[in-house]
Amino acid sequence: MSNVSVAAEWQLLADRYYRKPELYPMRWKHIDLSRNKVACAPFGGPIALIRDDSKIVQLYAESALRKLRIFNSAGVLLSETVWKHPGGRLIGMSWTEDQTLICIVQDGTIYRYNVHGECLEPNFSMGKDCFEQNVVDCVFWGNGVVCLTEAGKLFCVPDFKDIKPCKLAEIGVGVEELPHCMAVIEPQYTVSGNVEVLLGVGSGFVIVDEDEVRFIDEEKVGGAVQKIAVSHNGRFLACFMHDGRFLVLNTEFINFTNYQCESALPPEQMAWCGLDSVLLYWDDVLLMVGPSGDSVSYFNDEPVIFIPECDGVRVLSNTSMEFVQRVPDSTVSIFKIGSTSPASLLFDALDHFDRRSAKADENLRLIRSSLPEAVEACIDAAGHEFDVSHQRTLLRAASYGQAFCSNFKRDHIQEMCKTLRVLNAVRDPEIGIPLSIEQYKLLSAPVLVGRLINAHQHLLALRISEYVGLNQEVVVMHWACAKITASLAIPDAALLEILLDKLKLCKGMSYAAVAAHADRSGRRRLAAMLVDHEPHSSKQVPLLLSIAEEETALVKATESGDTDLVYLVLFHIWQKSSALEFFGTIQARPLARDLFIAYARYYKHEFLKDFFLSTGQLQEVALLLWKESWEIGKNSMASKGSPLHGPRIKLIEKAHDLFSETKEHNFESKAAEEHAKLLRIQHELEVSTKQPIFVDSSISDTIRTCIALGNHRAAMKVKTEFKVSEKRWYWLKVFALATIRDWDALEKFSKEKRPPNGFRPFVEACIDAAEKGEALKYIPKLADPGERAEAYARIGMAKEAADAASQAKDGELLGRLKLSFAQNTAASSIFDTLRDRLSFPGVS
Amino acid sequence: MSQIPNLDNSPLNLKSLREQSQRELVNILNNIRGKKCLVIDPKLSGSLSLIIKSTILKENGADLRHLSAEPVDTDCTKVVYLVRSEFSLMRFICSHIHNDTSKGLQREYYVYFVPRREVVCEKVLEEENVHNLVTIGEYPLYMVPLDEDVLSFELDLANKECLVDGNTSSLWHIAKAIHKLESSFGVITYVRAKGKASVRVADILNRMQAEEPVNTSDMVMPGINTLILIDREVDMVTPMCSQLTYEGLLDEPSLIDLVQFLHINNGAVELDPSIMGAQQEGKKIKVPLNSSDKLFKEIRDLNFEVVAQVLRQKATSMKQDYTEMTTTNQTVSELKDFVKKLNSLPEMTRHINLAQHLSTFTSKQSFLSRLDMEQTLIEAQSYEICVDYIEELIHKQEPLVSVLRLLILFSITNSGLPKRNFDHLRRELLHSYGFEHIAMLNNLEKAGLLKKQENKSNWLTIKRTLQLVVEDTDTANPNDIAYVFSGYAPLSIRLVQQAVRSGWRPMEEILKLLPGPHSETKRGGFSSSPSFDTLHGASAAVDRVADGRRSLVLVVFIGGVTFAEISALRFLSAQETMAYDLIIGTTKIVSGNTLTETFMEKVG
Repeated sequence: MSNVSVAAEWQLLADRYYRKPELYPMRWKHIDLSRNKVACAPFGGPIALIRDDSKIVQLYAESALRKLRIFNSAGVLLSETVWKHPGGRLIGMSWTEDQTLICIVQDGTIYRYNVHGECLEPNFSMGKDCFEQNVVDCVFWGNGVVCLTEAGKLFCVPDFKDIKPCKLAEIGVGVEELPHCMAVIEPQYTVSGNVEVLLGVGSGFVIVDEDEVRFIDEEKVGGAVQKIAVSHNGRFLACFMHDGRFLVLNTEFINFTNYQCESALPPEQMAWCGLDSVLLYWDDVLLMVGPSGDSVSYFNDEPVIFIPECDGVRVLSNTSMEFVQRVPDSTVSIFKIGSTSPASLLFDALDHFDRRSAKADENLRLIRSSLPEAVEACIDAAGHEFDVSHQRTLLRAASYGQAFCSNFKRDHIQEMCKTLRVLNAVRDPEIGIPLSIEQYKLLSAPVLVGRLINAHQHLLALRISEYVGLNQEVVVMHWACAKITASLAIPDAALLEILLDKLKLCKGMSYAAVAAHADRSGRRRLAAMLVDHEPHSSKQVPLLLSIAEEETALVKATESGDTDLVYLVLFHIWQKSSALEFFGTIQARPLARDLFIAYARYYKHEFLKDFFLSTGQLQEVALLLWKESWEIGKNSMASKGSPLHGPRIKLIEKAHDLFSETKEHNFESKAAEEHAKLLRIQHELEVSTKQPIFVDSSISDTIRTCIALGNHRAAMKVKTEFKVSEKRWYWLKVFALATIRDWDALEKFSKEKRPPNGFRPFVEACIDAAEKGEALKYIPKLADPGERAEAYARIGMAKEAADAASQAKDGELLGRLKLSFAQNTAASSIFDTLRDRLSFPGVS
Repeated sequence: MSQIPNLDNSPLNLKSLREQSQRELVNILNNIRGKKCLVIDPKLSGSLSLIIKSTILKENGADLRHLSAEPVDTDCTKVVYLVRSEFSLMRFICSHIHNDTSKGLQREYYVYFVPRREVVCEKVLEEENVHNLVTIGEYPLYMVPLDEDVLSFELDLANKECLVDGNTSSLWHIAKAIHKLESSFGVITYVRAKGKASVRVADILNRMQAEEPVNTSDMVMPGINTLILIDREVDMVTPMCSQLTYEGLLDEPSLIDLVQFLHINNGAVELDPSIMGAQQEGKKIKVPLNSSDKLFKEIRDLNFEVVAQVLRQKATSMKQDYTEMTTTNQTVSELKDFVKKLNSLPEMTRHINLAQHLSTFTSKQSFLSRLDMEQTLIEAQSYEICVDYIEELIHKQEPLVSVLRLLILFSITNSGLPKRNFDHLRRELLHSYGFEHIAMLNNLEKAGLLKKQENKSNWLTIKRTLQLVVEDTDTANPNDIAYVFSGYAPLSIRLVQQAVRSGWRPMEEILKLLPGPHSETKRGGFSSSPSFDTLHGASAAVDRVADGRRSLVLVVFIGGVTFAEISALRFLSAQETMAYDLIIGTTKIVSGNTLTETFMEKVG
């Protein structure tokens, strides 16, 4: 490659060079742009073409039906579809950021297409006003549009992701005719954050946003504006005036550039090329105007379309796609004729080196100190090249120079190679995405991958993701979904195999998401098969529910051990099915059943009873009823006294009946019977004593209360009624008498007959009441000397305790008693002597 | 001294866990702008007090309240509820909101579920028509470090829910908590489980590992080598016995006397000031009990018999020092040492007071006879004596819980009660304590804790094979874990002892006699490293990790663990021949009382 040949293609505009390399010769045949409406997506996106119904064109050998065709940037047909929409002429067509084609027809209907020419449902309308007034013009930006109606009203869709048309402020009186031209400043560049529309009206222009209209003074612009273009950063306006003047203004309307064009006829197209020049297009003339009023003109014998990009303008013609771009500084420094920059010398050195010329070394020596920047420049320049052989030569030069740099960040070359590989791959005409490196950086790799996926270039997308280290899951997932959509003819099992083969490429793949798609595509069986492979039960179960696989969902939820999931399924089934069906389902599944019961205990008491009845668990119903009886008791407590126990007793009796249905619950049945009886007796007692202290105390407590009240007959009655054992009776009566400190009665009671459990109750009751004298009445009567010793010890009688203990021949007891008398030396010596006498083995 | 334990000496980096929980909570508060009223589920506030100081919450603009049926009284327009996923709490929240709406108060409500939101609770909010008014969030607090070697999952109802209600949500929670540990400290290589719930947890844990594999590549060495899961159901005997270690005894309330209610709650015990020798009556004193207290760390695991001696020795030596101090001339450095010793004086006083308080009860006849009875039950020989003893307790209307403990112990060691006694004792219970306890009897029966005898008990075989009763236990210089119960070696810890030493295989026969299945799995990740394959072998010394630290065994008790058992494990860990450090995980620290109380349902 010769330096000269590169620079020869450049054009000088003021002090900057511009170039216009051809990106692709268009692959399409017989396309005449002038007959068509064309929408080209930025960032090397697709091109949509449809015959322009506003023009009178001659039909060749073609159908009268119009076809919407979508090509990639190299003119390879991606898809086509017949346009059959009602609603009048197609007014505007443009691609959104996520590469949906928006078509707006006269009556304000918005049709949306994807890259595959499939119309996306539903259609939207710009609203009633647009429908009545007809749309005459629209201006798109990234994700929005502004429509102008015949009545001069403006409507706007701020975001196509969420289509909600809104009306902008009315221009109002003083403006009779329709505007000459229209442009928008994107919301991201305006102060208000809403879109602002620039309209060329009368002999000046107005700025319209949602709330207000601002008129711009005539003297600021000096005449009627015929054409406006807003720069990419939203800060400069290029205006073509009625008198053929071309102005560049900033948003404060300060004039920067003033250029007099030869023609006063407004250009057909006008676009910013980068930030420092503007392209204007008239029939066969392409004029580039620079910042200081310089210009370059190109001649075209074909109609062209401008596609503004962030770093230049792509120019589409019938036969080729070109890219008008300012030559990057690094490229200029290398290839400019007569350049002596280090980079240029380095590049030259490589040339010499290749030719085995010693001058290579000489060049290197010349630039030794600035070698790193020379290498950087070569790398950078390589990045900006579209031609692969140029890239290669420049990178070789960089790599050659790098060899002589000691401290150069070596990964720069590597990174550039990586980037270029990606760029070259997508620039392939079959893919047809001619991204420049600047555009790629702005677009970012994930978005590029996303676009490739949308275009169904899954393999390339997968490779790129892998190459640049992105998550491949997105790609594989989309592929799987696309595959399902496209494979209606493949039977479920076979398709599953195909899918699994790829899905297992990624760890942590969401099978549930793919299954959900299969379900949406009407393949429920496939969905069920796929969801079976989902490892996350938390994703699997909800999906199973959505495809009506409740049984499986319940099994999976149970297996997972996550009770939350089981509840999820449970509520779902509960809602969907009749009570009996529901009971049937859960009865067979212990965990689900138990969880249901736990919930129902709190919130669906009656329903729970139904459940137990339907499953024949009568004892559970009985327990529930029994528990309810206390609830009632609690509530009726408020209404003191009164015959309140009727309903309670009824409930308990009902429980009793239910218990007695089964033999195993004999015990419970009897208890319920007794409880009912007790309540009746307690109720009577409360009535007779006029004291509400009996209900809800136990049988033992009732006896104690009766005795404490001196009502021995009542106590006796309770005793016989419930067959209270003599042993218990003695304890209760003794304690009750001790509570009321009726020591005489106690003594009398002790003499009634020989107590069934000895005199221990008497001793304990007296000691607990700290009645030493009373206790002494009974202690000698204790049968067991050990017990006697303990009792003496408890009332502090060491001597007696010791005697009893020695009688018991219990050494350990002696030891312990000694400890408890530790403070009392006299007492402890008694124990010592005694213990010595006893001398049991193993006693210390 | 703070209730928040000092975790510096933990064999596992529990501090980072706690700091993460702190951060998460503070973030929740900070994400809600302005002043807010933080309404905390009372049970949760105990757990939180081990994580974060309430002053920090206040510093973050939170007004603190406890959740109850009473409406929240606050000026804040933002109310943040921090609750466990429990039905009754949902009811409170709903009634609060309804109350506010009826008064025309407009507030922003946030409900943060601990540890995660659950469909069933949201369903309740939905049914009460308040779910539109609340913003729902999660505070993923799955575990709380109680001490440098104890983690609690704070699931106090786990045992009852599993055994009675068949509600296994706690098992998922436990598995999740362990999985969280794994994601911080690496995959646990060996998992040994005994008991139905344990095997299920091991199973869920494996599922979680399959769903969300722990990234093992960036961890050099797994923090935890072995996980041993023990189901409380396997050993309900031990918790029913009276704990005899110092810390255990402090946690045994009504055994001793119901009036002097002692109970360790979230690493602190609340006492009457009179116990601590304070003059004036009044507010209870909260005494923190954790290893930050050096003296407590020394004596907590000792048998209570020994504690008094140790304390006496310490006091004597201090007195001696003091006498020397006053009589002879001391160098400055000796003075310094002495002053240092003086610093431990408040701790000494505190524990002497506590010990004295305890000893007034432990020397009581009723306490001793109860211990005798427990011993008799474990020996399982004099059947009639036991029935009579328990019957008498019922007749005397002794506190129900302590009666039930013996009854449960009786039923388990006997594999149930003969129908005649079973019905008789149950009837006596209902007669003495009221018919409302029918629900509790039903629960205990469902849980298998109190049942009719159907087959012969194999307790004697278990007792013999595992050497549960050890004669001649020297409580002062113990050589076996049996010292914690003065002669009874806790079954659960015997199992752990075996599992650590040799795995389940040599003891398959005995495991079959205990309730529930058992499992043993080796999991991927570090299998290539040769040093971990030796776990099965006897060469324990090899298991020491290269840097001299011992590798770790996590012992998880599903359904709770008692302090006495923890002491026994610490004793094991301290043995020379032991190749592992032990860390304990539990659903909750329990005692026989708290465990039994969960089965007592409130009716009426």
